[in-house]
Amino acid sequence: MGSELGKELVEALKKGGVDFFMSVPCKLLSGVIASLELDDSITYIPVTREEEAMGIAAGAYLGGRMACLVMQDSGLGNSINALASLIQHFRIPFVLLISYRGTPGEKVGTQVPMAMITEDLLKLLRIPRLHCHRPGDELEIPDMVEHARVAQSAVAILIDFHFVQQRS
Amino acid sequence: MTRNDLLKTLLPLLSEPFVICNIGIPSQELYALGDRDNYFYMLGSMGMCGPIGLGLALSTPAPVVAIEGDGSVLMNLGALVTLAHQGPGNLTLVVIDNGSYGSTGDQPTYTAAGTSLAEVARAAGCTHVVECNGIETADALQTSLKSDHFSVIVAKVDPGNAPVGAVPLHPIMIRERFKNRVATTSFPHGNQQQT
Repeated sequence: MGSELGKELVEALKKGGVDFFMSVPCKLLSGVIASLELDDSITYIPVTREEEAMGIAAGAYLGGRMACLVMQDSGLGNSINALASLIQHFRIPFVLLISYRGTPGEKVGTQVPMAMITEDLLKLLRIPRLHCHRPGDELEIPDMVEHARVAQSAVAILIDFHFVQQRS
Repeated sequence: MTRNDLLKTLLPLLSEPFVICNIGIPSQELYALGDRDNYFYMLGSMGMCGPIGLGLALSTPAPVVAIEGDGSVLMNLGALVTLAHQGPGNLTLVVIDNGSYGSTGDQPTYTAAGTSLAEVARAAGCTHVVECNGIETADALQTSLKSDHFSVIVAKVDPGNAPVGAVPLHPIMIRERFKNRVATTSFPHGNQQQT
């Protein structure tokens, strides 16, 4: 992902009210991470594991902030208990910006199994989803962030290969 | 000295800071010692206490104390690395290390067999780490609350739980009153540089 698209996605999240970002590394969302590293207007911290970010997001919300984690869909598997028993149990607004690895366009086969269950996991967790597949889908990002606040819930924004290729 | 005995000695220091308290019996003991609206009781999500404290401390200039346990730190060791590099000066991590998974029947943790969480914290990059016994912990916390750097206090105590029941508060109530307290409290003497 180019830094221009990355910056655009970060600005869309900020427009919705996100002011606290975290990340674990991802090639598909590398433009987002590069943009965050240069942005002095927000708090940004890399984390060692996705689950940890669930706690940090909850703490940031208690302090009046709105957090977003940049992650891969594989990280959803690392986070299920914290998502259920912390984020959803205490109804913490939180944005998961998820690279939809393992979808068509993926070159690494081992990414596919988590991709095949990602949307089902999000459904089971009652986490609303926005799937960015075609150019223009990203225009709904600020509304999705607002929805997290209204629904008092985590929301997931899935970014797939098709979207990144079409926008690059 | 048990965890509950230690918590009693810390109570005078816990009236002003925002306190994130670990899942299970630690939260139940703290609640039974006297509920306060500056306490956030974790109800689930073992391993998330330090991270919740970090997120809060990066979002308010007020002092924040995260009361962890040895078992919960061991469950999420990576968080120590993030805390080492991102922990702000208004945050103190108190690890009550009783060498025991107290909430699940007092099975021993590996700290009882020699793992040093203070050494792990130092190796993770934490620069202000104190290991002390239970009696010394209040002094260590007082020092940390006055300091302008992130501190880790590993407090060695004996296993054992007070006979207390579940925290009878709804999660939304715990969240709302704590969040409102943070939003309405000003800390002119806050010692943290907002990041």
